Amino acid sequence: MSRERLHPAVWMTYYLLVLAVAMFYWNPLLQGFALLGGMLYFAAIAGGRAFLSELGFTLPLAVLVAITNPLFSHAGATPLFFMNGNPITLEAVLYGILLAGMILSVLYWCKCLSMVMTTDRLLTLFGGFLPKLALTFSMTLRFFPRLFRQMKAMEAAGKTSGLLADDSFFDRLRGRMKLLPALIGWSLERAMETSASMKARGYGLPGRTNAVCRKMRGEDVVFLAVILLLGGLTLLSGILGDLSFWFYPRISDLPTGGISLMGYVSYGLLCFLPVILEWKEWYQWHLLRKKIPLS
Amino acid sequence: MKPAMKKWITVLLLFVLLPLLIGLGIGLSGGKLYAFLYMATAIIAMIPFFLSFEKGKADARMMLLIAVMTALSVLGRILFAVTPSFKPVTAMVILTALYFGREAGFLTGALSALLSNLYFGQGPWTPFQMFTWGLIGFIAGVLAKPLKKSRIALLLYGGVAGAIFSLLMDFWSTLWESGSADPTRFFAHFVAGLPVLAVITLSNVIFLWVLAKPIGRILSRLQTKYGIGLAE
Repeated sequence: MSRERLHPAVWMTYYLLVLAVAMFYWNPLLQGFALLGGMLYFAAIAGGRAFLSELGFTLPLAVLVAITNPLFSHAGATPLFFMNGNPITLEAVLYGILLAGMILSVLYWCKCLSMVMTTDRLLTLFGGFLPKLALTFSMTLRFFPRLFRQMKAMEAAGKTSGLLADDSFFDRLRGRMKLLPALIGWSLERAMETSASMKARGYGLPGRTNAVCRKMRGEDVVFLAVILLLGGLTLLSGILGDLSFWFYPRISDLPTGGISLMGYVSYGLLCFLPVILEWKEWYQWHLLRKKIPLS
Repeated sequence: MKPAMKKWITVLLLFVLLPLLIGLGIGLSGGKLYAFLYMATAIIAMIPFFLSFEKGKADARMMLLIAVMTALSVLGRILFAVTPSFKPVTAMVILTALYFGREAGFLTGALSALLSNLYFGQGPWTPFQMFTWGLIGFIAGVLAKPLKKSRIALLLYGGVAGAIFSLLMDFWSTLWESGSADPTRFFAHFVAGLPVLAVITLSNVIFLWVLAKPIGRILSRLQTKYGIGLAE
């Protein structure tokens, strides 16, 4: 699939561009694209059930933000009604709604980012220019399940020998406090052995280079170029001031015109690009399966 | 990369790129400006630390040490899953910094935030959390001598670090939810977050109180046995 096939650097560039525009540009149309694109993509890669449970978690947050904004902010020229002597303005209500949408879209894009940029892909991405840091991160990930198992073993041993009581909440807390130093002592000794072994194999000697497992391919370059072009056109249109939109004191009109249109179209395409790719691949797979004769 | 060049990159990042970014942000003056700037600032401010680790003299031993301490502090967060906000992460980061230096402290803090968010949910707040926790470790490393000598100073540092961390989180939520540094909203967040602030502060103090001695003994023994971090 495209999200697994393309080079991590391509995806990282993509997410940075989408998120930068989503967090920076205050234009309802762009925000709509970002929100819809992010939600659809999340639904496509996480599945319907995960999408619904996520919605149950994020929607209340968005509603809360949308409701609280007009309560805190009284700017704007069109009061709808008064509450405790403070005006609730139309502008603040709409601003709150857009803000809620923006928070949702950034959350969804971040969810997609962490699903697509799995740890192995992060390592590929950073291994090139930060090899030491990437290796440290990778070792941390490797230690984690090992330490977890050891912790379980120590806990079981402690309980069996009667050193760790778990009769009450505070007993359990005290037990955990005892467990932590024991775990540290055990794991640091192991770590020192590993580092000796690494040294023995010549890690860190001068003149050694790092292996690059995944090189940029033709396809990656094409996608990167498309992404940079679409993102660049959006940013250009924004820098020229053709995407600006404001709420206070009065809501402005949605900018239209050649350059604004260029910005809308390129950001729209950018936001829906991964969904289109997913859908295309799903459809191809569907067609291929159709050609397999059953029985 | 030569040390001189590293210095130049740091200077360039902190004194050219950062002001440029802030200027550009204010110039373009759009929606989630402040939240975006806050995030970008955190990312840019972390780069010099990462570069200096990359090009510095940290060897396999130091890397493994950071890896283990990070894994342990994240595990600590899960070990104490029953008690929300009552976590040993900050205490672990501070103790690492005390015995293995400011660099180890920064990296343990930053990586702990990154890794624990892999389990607890990644988001736009990640860079900021990474930077704050890293800085708590870095400063603990700088103050290692007095903090090691006086237990009260150590507990005080842990408490203050926890309180500041919580306040910065409230500040971030304010920026994130309203797009500006709205004081009334910040106050609302501050009041709503007061119990969390109290728990975080208290938990840092308690964890440092209970763990500083046993963990300190292990770490200082490791120092003498393998000769790590003695140069500083």
